[in-house]
Amino acid sequence: MAPSTDIAVVGWAQTEMARRTELSETQLLLRAITDALEPLGLTSADVDFTCLGSCDYITGQAFSFVGNLDAIGAWPPKRDSHVEMDGAWALYEAWLRLQEGDIEIAVVTGSGRSSTGDPALIYPMEMDPYFLAPIGADPLTFAALQARAVIAAGITDERSMAEVAVRSRGKGTVDDLLAGDYVRQPLRRHDVPPITDGAAAMVLATGDRARRLVERPAYITGFDHRTECHNPSFRRLDDSPSTRLAATAAGLGRAPVEVAELQAAFTHEELLLRSVLGLGDDVVVNASGGALKANPIMATGLCRIGHAADHIFKGGSRALAHSTSGPCLQQNLICILEGRS
Amino acid sequence: MTRLVESVISFPYRRSLGPVTGAFMTALTEKRILGIRNGDDVLVPPMEWDPATGAALAQDMVEVGPSGTVESWTWVPEPTEQHPVDRPFAFAFVRLDGASTPLLHAVDAGTPEAMSDGMRVAPRWKGARVGHITDIACFVPGEEPEVDGEDQGPAAEPVAIMDYVASITYRNPVPPVFDLANEASHERRLLGFACPVCSRQYVGGRAVCPIDAHEFTAEDGVDLPHTGTITNFVIVTPVQYPGQTETEPFARVFVLLDGTDVVLSYQPVFELPVDDVAVGLRVSAVWASPAERPDEAPTGMGTSLGSLIGWMPNGEPAVDDPDLVNRIF
Repeated sequence: MAPSTDIAVVGWAQTEMARRTELSETQLLLRAITDALEPLGLTSADVDFTCLGSCDYITGQAFSFVGNLDAIGAWPPKRDSHVEMDGAWALYEAWLRLQEGDIEIAVVTGSGRSSTGDPALIYPMEMDPYFLAPIGADPLTFAALQARAVIAAGITDERSMAEVAVRSRGKGTVDDLLAGDYVRQPLRRHDVPPITDGAAAMVLATGDRARRLVERPAYITGFDHRTECHNPSFRRLDDSPSTRLAATAAGLGRAPVEVAELQAAFTHEELLLRSVLGLGDDVVVNASGGALKANPIMATGLCRIGHAADHIFKGGSRALAHSTSGPCLQQNLICILEGRS
Repeated sequence: MTRLVESVISFPYRRSLGPVTGAFMTALTEKRILGIRNGDDVLVPPMEWDPATGAALAQDMVEVGPSGTVESWTWVPEPTEQHPVDRPFAFAFVRLDGASTPLLHAVDAGTPEAMSDGMRVAPRWKGARVGHITDIACFVPGEEPEVDGEDQGPAAEPVAIMDYVASITYRNPVPPVFDLANEASHERRLLGFACPVCSRQYVGGRAVCPIDAHEFTAEDGVDLPHTGTITNFVIVTPVQYPGQTETEPFARVFVLLDGTDVVLSYQPVFELPVDDVAVGLRVSAVWASPAERPDEAPTGMGTSLGSLIGWMPNGEPAVDDPDLVNRIF
């Protein structure tokens, strides 16, 4: 879907990514939002619309996003929304909202303080409540079953997965990693994302306002997300049709991309997504280290879009960002960013 | 060092099951496993709708299994409290005989070496079955179903409701200003924080001015008065939900502190019968003696004021101001 007006990412910021922070989620957001606005010479008074992405289940507080609004300074009253999704979906809503054409600046955030609870115990509770949650079906198990399917389909093998881990984290050797024990066969520790506390904030602007704010806005030229049915029992786990559909709708095929930032929390997911998206060896994938290096749940996808925007800010011409949600890549979002000469 | 506070949140859900999942759960109590026809396929677990198209399915249930074949599996070396087996086990996609789709469940095989794709498994039923997916305790290698303990037979009535208790332990950081206010309360001081940008004052350890996104520090602390006026109130008739300790109707009042814009919400009252609570009443702070202090440090969740445990009438003439009732924040 092509937007009816020019909408661009003009800046973004992320907090330090830590295994455990002493800051509250609101404090994390305060820092991310301030760091995103200040370099642009903007204050919260300039912001016309906010959309926050976070998850009450992770925070352990009903309506926790209301408290998070303290970080934006919602006075005089602002147009605001919230998605119980990664900040990448908050960005999608802000992108839709800006297309109405009556406002110019939006701020979106993603925030997650994963160390508040135990992710291994929280995520099963977000599964189907009849057949999956009551048996504690956890993300590692789902990822392992998908990895087996992807390996069986010949898309990857355990060595290629270890290579992704070494490249993403910039440490270790493939042979050393492959000597490790399985945490869920065929996944070893290195195939699995870290637990990360962190937040990210992104600033969007329309048309001339974007061009006045920065030299080279990262225009959103394609944006789409699709979902599959929830229960992996009914899906082919060696494929990701929702990713393929979203990429087609976002116009991935119209021109080559130079970089791709994929929300692949597990090593095999990167290789499956590369295959489904048809990304060749000439595309630089997850130069940021991706979700394997830092995985602030609810902000991980927004960070992918931020890193893709950085590529445009630095003179790049076309970048792809991907975000995902749900077990075994259930729901997938594709965002195409472009620069203009 | 920031203090962390641990809290356990439990959600005792009761879920209605509907015609398809209900039939499946009822059959489990009879040691039978049901799928649903979707064209030539038989879906297990049964769905009310075609997973691919969303089309409603005719409720044509068909018995499958009880034995089946492992299509894929992964070994769980360290089970959590949520898992159905308390020793290392396999999670497996089990295609029950007659089904087109695999059911995810546990296989108690002892070691990963005992697991393989294509192996045959059968359910180990719980003796006491209630209509829950864990009526299948797990699957075990072989063709023969087992029953764990004494078989207490099927449910007397069709199963229409399923209980599921979600329980999570959280560890939250307590903002330092919250602890400052709490400590001050033990000295019978009501410590608030004033925003240097807008001058608004806040209590209850709020860490940030929500207007200006200013983060409070000790330097922003201000001592607030100990007298105020009730602006609004509610009389609560307690419902005996889990955790409710009150048994008789009780009042919660909103107190506007003298000479400030600060309203303390949802405050307990003392020496004030519920029938006498009124907007405009003048009240003074009631402080806990050291012996009365709660054992547990406050959590930082919601408005807790430490040793300030409530308010009581101070005998001053009531204030007659029709706008008071609007001041609840």
